[in-house]
Amino acid sequence: MKSLNKLIPLLRNYKGQIFLGLFAFFVARFFEICTYYLASLGIDLIADLYQGITNLSFTITELVLALIATVVLRFFVVSAARRAIRRVGIAVAHDLRQDLYRSVLAQGPTFFSAFNVGDIMTRAIQDISLVQRLVSFGFIALVIMVYAPLFGVGAMLMKSVPLTLLVVPLLPVIFVYTVKMAREMGNSSREVQNKLSQLSSHTQENLSGIRTVQAGVQEKNESDRFWKTNDGYALSFFEQARINSLMSAWLPFFASIAQLVIVLYGGFLVIEGDMSVGDLVFFFACLSMLLAPIKMAGFLVMIVQRAAVASDRIFEIIEADPEVKDNPSGETPDRISGGILIKNLNFSYPNRGALNLRDINIEVQSGEWLGVVGKVGAGKSTLLKMLTRLLRVPSESVFLDGHEIFSYPLGQLRKEVVFVMQDSFLFDEPIFSNISYDKPDRDVGDVWKAADSAKISESIAGFPKKMQTVVGERGVTLSGGQKQRTTLARGFVRDASILVLDDCFSSVDTETEEHILLQLKELRKNKTTIIVSHRVSTLRHADRIIYMEDGSVKETGSHTELINKKGSYYKLEKAQNLSADAVAELT
Amino acid sequence: MENIKPKKDHSVFETELSGAVLNFQLLARIFFWLKPYRLRLVLSAILVLIASFATVLLEILISRVLVDYIIMKDTESLMPDLGMISLTQFLERETHFGDLFSVGILFFSITVIQGVASHWHRMTLTASIVKGLRDLRQDLFEHLETRPSSFYDKVPVGRLMTRVTNDVEALFEMLRGFGSLIGEFIPFFVALAIMFSASIKLTFILLTLIPVVWVVTFIFKGATREIFREVRDSVSALNQRLQESLSGIQVVQLSVRESRNFLDYSVLNKLNRRLEFRSINISTFYGAFNDSLIAIGLGMVIWFGAEEVLSDSMTIGGVILFTRFMTMLFTPVVSLGEQLNVLFRAMASGERIFQALDWDEQIKEPESPSPLPDRLLGRIEFKDLSFSYNPGVPVLSNVSFSVAAGEKLAIVGPTGSGKSTLIRLLGRFYDFSDGSIFLDGIDLNQILSKELRRRVGVVLQDFHVFSGSIYENISLGNPLVTKKKAQEAALITNAHDFITRLPQGYDTVMLERGANLSHGQRQLLAFARVLAADPEVLVLDEATASVDTETELLIEKGLENLIENRTAILIAHRLQTVRKSDRILVLNEGKVAEFGTEKELLSNRDLYHKLHRLQFQDK
Repeated sequence: MKSLNKLIPLLRNYKGQIFLGLFAFFVARFFEICTYYLASLGIDLIADLYQGITNLSFTITELVLALIATVVLRFFVVSAARRAIRRVGIAVAHDLRQDLYRSVLAQGPTFFSAFNVGDIMTRAIQDISLVQRLVSFGFIALVIMVYAPLFGVGAMLMKSVPLTLLVVPLLPVIFVYTVKMAREMGNSSREVQNKLSQLSSHTQENLSGIRTVQAGVQEKNESDRFWKTNDGYALSFFEQARINSLMSAWLPFFASIAQLVIVLYGGFLVIEGDMSVGDLVFFFACLSMLLAPIKMAGFLVMIVQRAAVASDRIFEIIEADPEVKDNPSGETPDRISGGILIKNLNFSYPNRGALNLRDINIEVQSGEWLGVVGKVGAGKSTLLKMLTRLLRVPSESVFLDGHEIFSYPLGQLRKEVVFVMQDSFLFDEPIFSNISYDKPDRDVGDVWKAADSAKISESIAGFPKKMQTVVGERGVTLSGGQKQRTTLARGFVRDASILVLDDCFSSVDTETEEHILLQLKELRKNKTTIIVSHRVSTLRHADRIIYMEDGSVKETGSHTELINKKGSYYKLEKAQNLSADAVAELT
Repeated sequence: MENIKPKKDHSVFETELSGAVLNFQLLARIFFWLKPYRLRLVLSAILVLIASFATVLLEILISRVLVDYIIMKDTESLMPDLGMISLTQFLERETHFGDLFSVGILFFSITVIQGVASHWHRMTLTASIVKGLRDLRQDLFEHLETRPSSFYDKVPVGRLMTRVTNDVEALFEMLRGFGSLIGEFIPFFVALAIMFSASIKLTFILLTLIPVVWVVTFIFKGATREIFREVRDSVSALNQRLQESLSGIQVVQLSVRESRNFLDYSVLNKLNRRLEFRSINISTFYGAFNDSLIAIGLGMVIWFGAEEVLSDSMTIGGVILFTRFMTMLFTPVVSLGEQLNVLFRAMASGERIFQALDWDEQIKEPESPSPLPDRLLGRIEFKDLSFSYNPGVPVLSNVSFSVAAGEKLAIVGPTGSGKSTLIRLLGRFYDFSDGSIFLDGIDLNQILSKELRRRVGVVLQDFHVFSGSIYENISLGNPLVTKKKAQEAALITNAHDFITRLPQGYDTVMLERGANLSHGQRQLLAFARVLAADPEVLVLDEATASVDTETELLIEKGLENLIENRTAILIAHRLQTVRKSDRILVLNEGKVAEFGTEKELLSNRDLYHKLHRLQFQDK
């Protein structure tokens, strides 16, 4: 239940509505019991008329009109009550979604390696709707649990104290039984839920590996294996049905004992003339009102249990502490000029022992072009991600223009240090919005210019809707090279103090790449630019090159210096030169 | 050359089915799976009849016997009592208990009968539905299990998964809904019959409420259809937005778009809230209307019942009986409206299930298959083989080459050159008719695909791991692969070391898709599995993903042991693998570009020479 406590602050915002709803339910319950009371009066009235008693205080018509009036009043009041409470449920779901979305936007890679997209989506969709159900229906069930016995017993007491006293002791027995059954129902429904998700994952697992299954002639085996899961689910489902059915069989049985008391003692009272026939009927009505909440107990236990689990899962996301924090010192310049100093930088990803970056010392002058090269896993991307604080930067190790990197406001830092990532990610939106993602109201001319620099403008001009062409699922599918160049344009369009291109020419042919780089050299003259690449032809454009291996810098120097050094870079150059003509012929 | 069957349109698996019409054929088809359990269904029907009668008898005991006979001392009325008054009198006579006590005994015994009958009605009904649909689900699964690769190339797994899970679930819900409707309608008709025999006039008056319910339901459905659709749309827009932000989170953060995206999301979220508010405004009124019905009926019974009593055509107990019948009368009428929704949804699900069940695409099997010898030599010959997945886009054209028994052949070539297709055809994952492949001189198309796959072991790149223990993953249910044999296979393929380091060794249960193993370990496990099956021919698509140096060495050595003593065809991505093969086949644009030993090919200074430098430069 502790996990549900976290919902209280959210509910507090809707105090008014909740109290209104609870009060309206109270009133509705009152009208409901009035309806039954008036019906029982009606029966007495008919009996009196039948026996020829004429000096009655009201007519049948008056009575029925009063009865209809209570029904109509209840109709409006109960509608208002349910509406109020369900609105709270919807509003709480809305608020949870806001909080969840806000939280994920601020999270870093550690978070996203712990929770994958599918998992977060399930929490955002299923779990939030479970909480909504709890608020919308749980409150109502709870209200029924309290009000129904309250009114039921109250009304019975008014009619006959001894009969009430005979009936009421049965209630605790029924209650205890119900609670026990409700718990069993909760367990069995959880079991069904588990088996169902096993069934889903079994199906998913099998179908995704269908080729291996068929290659290994495992169809029969797999079907047999599936049978176990399938039958297991059916059995658990049947077990749940059995418990539910037992509950629906035993409850009327207990109730019938109470009814029996009413038949025997109530009948006796009526024969003795201590009670009217109408009162007897009224007693039966009150009894069903008393039992109504008990029928809901199982349902209530189930939704509370499920919502508690769901709430835990939601708050796990909402309360996750962002690993990258924004605490600007306020003493940093308004504009970064582009000088970078990396000092004794060591870094390892959380939960991984080995260092991913080892004692890195680099100084980049403002306006310098730096090339970075090294094998897959050498730590190039990890190093460069530090510059945009996509990872947690250790203190006293990365400085921009002489200030520690985290003394800059995070927003400013990421506006000025532009990082173009290795894999191109495009949103399911028009090309214009994809390129000008950081600033949707940018001048179209600027976007075309950037597209031009990335050599993608011709392709865009060729699409029927030009810049407004939607990419992805809902629109044109771009080739790998086109995607990468669009991503490049997204980097070029921004006025970057430092531009980092992390191996983003891999799907672009060398000729186009050369063309783009030459243009870029013009555009970014005297602006700090860092290029990661495997190709010597690309690296050659840099003023200085660092060669990384196993998380540390192995060689530093200009292209010529490194060639003369005859180290790793030299070997790479030789291997690539040999195949350069092969590449040309192949493409 | 045979004619290729007209291509099927797989896009039907992606289209939405509305299921807007009642399709009785579909219901009849579902009943086919219930047939084996029909005895239980019949029993269930008898039990519900008994339970319904008992329910009605209990009401008669209170109104007609207790009120009319005992309290009002009215024995002359012609109102129906289904013999309950005589039964009470009989009990009174025989037992000398008082009248009240006799009613009490009857009341109690009928309650017990009612409880037992309705419990067993529910049990038998649920059992037959659960079992019937379990069988349907199993049949569907087995059907999907034997669809060929060409089917899975075109139909997303997710779509099929929902058919096996959600759609069968929807049928469950529908049949159970049907069952409970029947459980409600039988008392309805029994009650109606009694009511008619008690007072035709009053019954007709009450029945006028039913069309009113239907009109209100109809209006409600009309009023909410649009708003419910809007709610659904807004929910999916909301989810799509979240999904996209999550997938592109780094771009979002690097573009400093957090606050803007949050604003956009808030707008969608608020819109959704507004629409949901609107939809409940309508639905709460509808719900409240439905529960007012019984009370309105109560008022009508009193109003019109009074006249009937005063004109002596009804007793007080009769009026009470009518009031007590109100629940039985209106509950099924209201739930009918709700069940219709479930029914329509289930119709669409049923259509989707049968669409998959009726999909008969399969690999062509030979009519009179050639038997394979006990031990194949493993000689393979490709002869003028051409193939395309889509007409007009050839993937392989006129491929001819042969592999000697026991020879190791490496296939190399640029992406899209047809390497994978070549080995998929060898595993008979696709039908081909243009050209042939021979295994020990036997035409592949004359061999049963299952028989062939037992003899030609194919290791695909994805290294699928089944949930179950490591041992089960190696033996794959083959009783000939004992624990000892499995261990041997693991030893030879270098998988043994990592397996023994797992918490329960060979009995360690694998998580979903082998999530508790690394990529390299999954690869080693796949090797052990194929070695345990001991195929005469091994076909392997080498993994491209990078693993650490230590594991790479293990894999290299494991592979070497694996291909020993058998014909092997390897799609090679590593220079080491190429070096270990006897000959190399270079594919380019679906054609054999070069074929020979590495030495020969290098001296040709042609495509292999280039690939050698380009692809393998890092290694």
